[in-house]
Amino acid sequence: MFQDFAYLIILLPVIAFVLTLFFGKKFPANGGILSVIAVFSAFVISAGILIEIYPSGCVEQSWPWFAILNFGILIDPLAAVMLCMVSFVSFLIHVYSVGYMSHDHAKPRYFAETALFTTAMLGVVLSDNILQFFIFWELVGLCSYLLIGFWYRKPTAAAAAKKAFLVTRVGDVLFLAGIIILYLNIRDFQIPDGAYLLQFQTMFAAIGHIPPSQLTVITLLFFGGAVGKSGQFPLHIWLPDAMEGPTTVSALIHAATMVTAGVYLVARTFPIFLASPDALTVVAYIGGFTAIFAATMGLVMNDIKRVLAYSTVSQLGYMMLALGTGIVIGAEVVGVSMFHLISHAFFKALLFLCAGSVIHGLGLQDLRQMGGAFSKMKITAITMLIASLALTGIPPTAGFFSKDAIIEGTYAYGIHTGSMALYAMGIIAALLTSIYTYRLWFMAFAGKPRTNYHAHESPPSMTVPLIILAILALVFGLVAHGAFGGFLEHTYSENLIEDAAAIGGHHIATEHAHPPTILFYMPIIVGVLGFVISWLIYSKRVINMSSIVSKRNPIYNLLLNRYYQQKIYIEFIAITIVYRVLALLGEFIDRRIIDGIIDGISYVIITIGEFIRRIQTGVVQHYAAFVVAGVVVLILLLQGGIL
Amino acid sequence: MNYSPLIPELIVVLTGLIVVFFGLFLPLRVKKGLGCISALALIASIVYILKSGVLSTSERAGIYFYEAYAIDSLSQFFKLVFLAVSLIVVIASIKRYENNKYQDEYYGLLLFATFGMMIVASSNDLVTLFIGFELASMSTYVLAGFDKTNPKSLEAAMKYFIIGSVSSAIMLFGLSLLYGVTGTTNIEGISAYIAVNGILDAAGIAILVFLIAGFAFKMALVPFHMWAPDTYEGAPTMISAMLAAGSKKMGFVAAFKVFIVALIALRLDLQSVFFILAIITMTYGNVVAISQKSIKRMLAYSSVAQAGYIAMAFVIMTPLAMGAGMLYILSHAFMKSGAFIAVGAVTHMMWTRNKNVENADYLKNFAGLSQRAPYTALAMLIFVFALAGIPPTAGFVSKFFLFSSAIQAGYIALVVVAILNSAVSLYYYARIVKYMYVLPPAGETLKEPRAYLLAMLVAIIAIFAIGIYPAPFLDWAMNAAATIGM
Repeated sequence: MFQDFAYLIILLPVIAFVLTLFFGKKFPANGGILSVIAVFSAFVISAGILIEIYPSGCVEQSWPWFAILNFGILIDPLAAVMLCMVSFVSFLIHVYSVGYMSHDHAKPRYFAETALFTTAMLGVVLSDNILQFFIFWELVGLCSYLLIGFWYRKPTAAAAAKKAFLVTRVGDVLFLAGIIILYLNIRDFQIPDGAYLLQFQTMFAAIGHIPPSQLTVITLLFFGGAVGKSGQFPLHIWLPDAMEGPTTVSALIHAATMVTAGVYLVARTFPIFLASPDALTVVAYIGGFTAIFAATMGLVMNDIKRVLAYSTVSQLGYMMLALGTGIVIGAEVVGVSMFHLISHAFFKALLFLCAGSVIHGLGLQDLRQMGGAFSKMKITAITMLIASLALTGIPPTAGFFSKDAIIEGTYAYGIHTGSMALYAMGIIAALLTSIYTYRLWFMAFAGKPRTNYHAHESPPSMTVPLIILAILALVFGLVAHGAFGGFLEHTYSENLIEDAAAIGGHHIATEHAHPPTILFYMPIIVGVLGFVISWLIYSKRVINMSSIVSKRNPIYNLLLNRYYQQKIYIEFIAITIVYRVLALLGEFIDRRIIDGIIDGISYVIITIGEFIRRIQTGVVQHYAAFVVAGVVVLILLLQGGIL
Repeated sequence: MNYSPLIPELIVVLTGLIVVFFGLFLPLRVKKGLGCISALALIASIVYILKSGVLSTSERAGIYFYEAYAIDSLSQFFKLVFLAVSLIVVIASIKRYENNKYQDEYYGLLLFATFGMMIVASSNDLVTLFIGFELASMSTYVLAGFDKTNPKSLEAAMKYFIIGSVSSAIMLFGLSLLYGVTGTTNIEGISAYIAVNGILDAAGIAILVFLIAGFAFKMALVPFHMWAPDTYEGAPTMISAMLAAGSKKMGFVAAFKVFIVALIALRLDLQSVFFILAIITMTYGNVVAISQKSIKRMLAYSSVAQAGYIAMAFVIMTPLAMGAGMLYILSHAFMKSGAFIAVGAVTHMMWTRNKNVENADYLKNFAGLSQRAPYTALAMLIFVFALAGIPPTAGFVSKFFLFSSAIQAGYIALVVVAILNSAVSLYYYARIVKYMYVLPPAGETLKEPRAYLLAMLVAIIAIFAIGIYPAPFLDWAMNAAATIGM
């Protein structure tokens, strides 16, 4: 029954967007109510569909658009869980926003933009063809730009918005190039009636007709898009800056939903990746590297939101890493990665909302000025601790189940390929994650206040979502870990996966080696180890940090300066190469040569226009003469055989 | 015989008679109701055509009056165009002529003109075709001069009438030659005769050229277009909308019927003729539009240019091109009538403030319109963007299909010219937007008349419907193309 209303999932938020944008002021909560209702309805429908198609099923609806293109909805298990997660998290954050944004004057704009964002994200998830996917993907990017720059009068926010837009644009262009190359390869492919060329099903059926080298190029370009959106190295630099927007936006877009679009892209087109093992290896190593790289920077950040931002980048790396191990494990990794994605969405949204609550309650954003907030903000502190436990993979939280599965996958990968590098990456990143997470918690809530601040607990509209998310972070893993993987396995048929793997020239291992007990418990061990280290350093202060945290320590400097990315990306790439060389060269060509030509042409055209205008004398005899002359000329043309 | 497919025509012509008849007795204050009745009649006809399902099949639904009058998806498609334009014009006119004591005649003539166009769309016989042509022309000659106190309007009507008569004479000469050679006036009969017997090349050329000249007058193809800018500028803006968006299409449907159905067997180089006409027309229209001060005149030239694009269908001659041409005709009807109505709204607002404003349609009066009349400005923005072919409007979709059909058929040069022309046209369209949105307002806030807004809303909805979801409209257009053997 819910399936018949699948289109409402994106239609309702669109309507909310339009109404809120134009008439927001006339509704309760300045239009917030509309967005909340629309997103909640979308969640209800999504959840209904999920229940209907469980344990194996699929909703496919398609309308011809024009030419070879269609509008289509594809809700398979992969899309269904993603839809539920996106709409649910978005709904909670909308509720939270009603309280959080209550003092902002531009509320209608805020709620309109978040509603549009939700539309775009849900659109990405339920698209049944890659072009529609791309259209919504771009819309997601646009909304991200608008919301990061929500306080556009603040120069840092405007700059961050621009940076996010430009950096993700690099990925988007790669993605588009991938779509174009894919299209060129499959355009002559015979498609069955009722199917369309760019539909995922058609694409997958056509994999065998694409030369392997092209396949690698296509998947790498797709991955380029995913790298941009999901903040993977080297396009991760926009994500920490994106924290300039309201904290709710950070939670919604830059933690729970939009950044997962990249992971979703890889999962959605996973059969193609499977057919191209080189690309999948790249995915794994980029993911693993990003997981460690971002975690090291998370260690030294002092802005509470930035720590979380780097943590997000790092966790997204985990998800990519998980997908990358698909070479060995097969389509099961989609389930593993998505499971981490969803549990991450819950606990990361929770972390951000807790951070928002802390910022709201303390009026502070710098961890060094906080401390001892536990007694003042009990709910926030406890929910944040739960989120931290989940993030560091301590049982029985959601994070334990999801992270464990990933690391187990990397172990199986290691056994099969003989390289334990991915496993090591996973473990190191887990340790670092644990350290920075508890560092954050201890610095904020433990000990005594380091500055004078007036703390108060946040209002219920903010704490209730915190509690709901905390419960989810606690129990989601316990409840869902059994059914989840099995459900998601129905996303792709076994034949499809086998064929794709055969094209890729590798075999999927059916029997996975289970790691020895010590390695099996390694994620928990490093999680606890991180906790102990943080506790010793930041709560007990057994180590004098001033010797480490000093400008003379090169490692600390390296991390604090974020590997000198500012220098490399901004000063070298952006300013020197892009601006000084490319932009100025482009400007020279544009101004001197192209503009000159254009000006010349327009001058000529306008002059000709002025001249021809005089033919139009206004004398009707002349007009009649032209008619007759036209007839004569036509006769001459046809008769004289000039043509 | 089942006469029910003729119901739309009957509704229109009977309403026309009723409006004229009751107009004789009704006092001025209730005459406004006649406009509403006309609008309702047009809506009823549109609904009937949409409901009848003729549009979604390429089968002929009926043929009447000794095979002189055919109902098929081609005829119904064009009737839809004519009725829609009339509807938009009538809605806006309810406000424009609310205090005019001759408004009954106005609506009557408008309905008769529409009826004439509908006859042309359905005609299966040269005589029917000509009568429909003349009925529409006669009615619009009078309408063009409806603002009797405005000398410009009278001049417009006079020029339109004179050039119209010359063209009718030339066309009639062509038709009579055709009858003389083939011995029949039935379009299919002519086709069959030529296919079997063939005719002299010289006669064929004369017929073709005279008919091209006659139809091109309505289509406003260069060099038969010269009446158009003067008439569109001088005529009441509503009537300009009618002429540019509606009656121009009469030339196209006649051309589809006569050139494609009847004369295709001549094997003369029709395509090359239209190749030249199309290129000259679009280039000339766009280039001259640039230097216009009056927006109505600018729209007139833009309409000439658009006719050039549509004429590409006669060059390419593939089913997709024909369908795309028809889709373009449908889209253009909404874009152009909307744009003229928007100009009409602006001039109307100027006149209500000051009766003696001269050149109310000049570009300078549009300065800062976004602040003076925000809804009208937004509507105008949508119309000019649609005309320029910017997605997601109908203009984009039509151009997309038309140009891609040309590429498929290998007419790369034609497409290059057409696209360059689109770029040129963006200049003057964007200039209107610049005046409306960038320049400071040229006066205080204006009160936007609701009837105009409603008319523009109808056009906007259609433009976005076609632009966002073109599949059903293209289906209709392809069916219409299929009925002429494409």
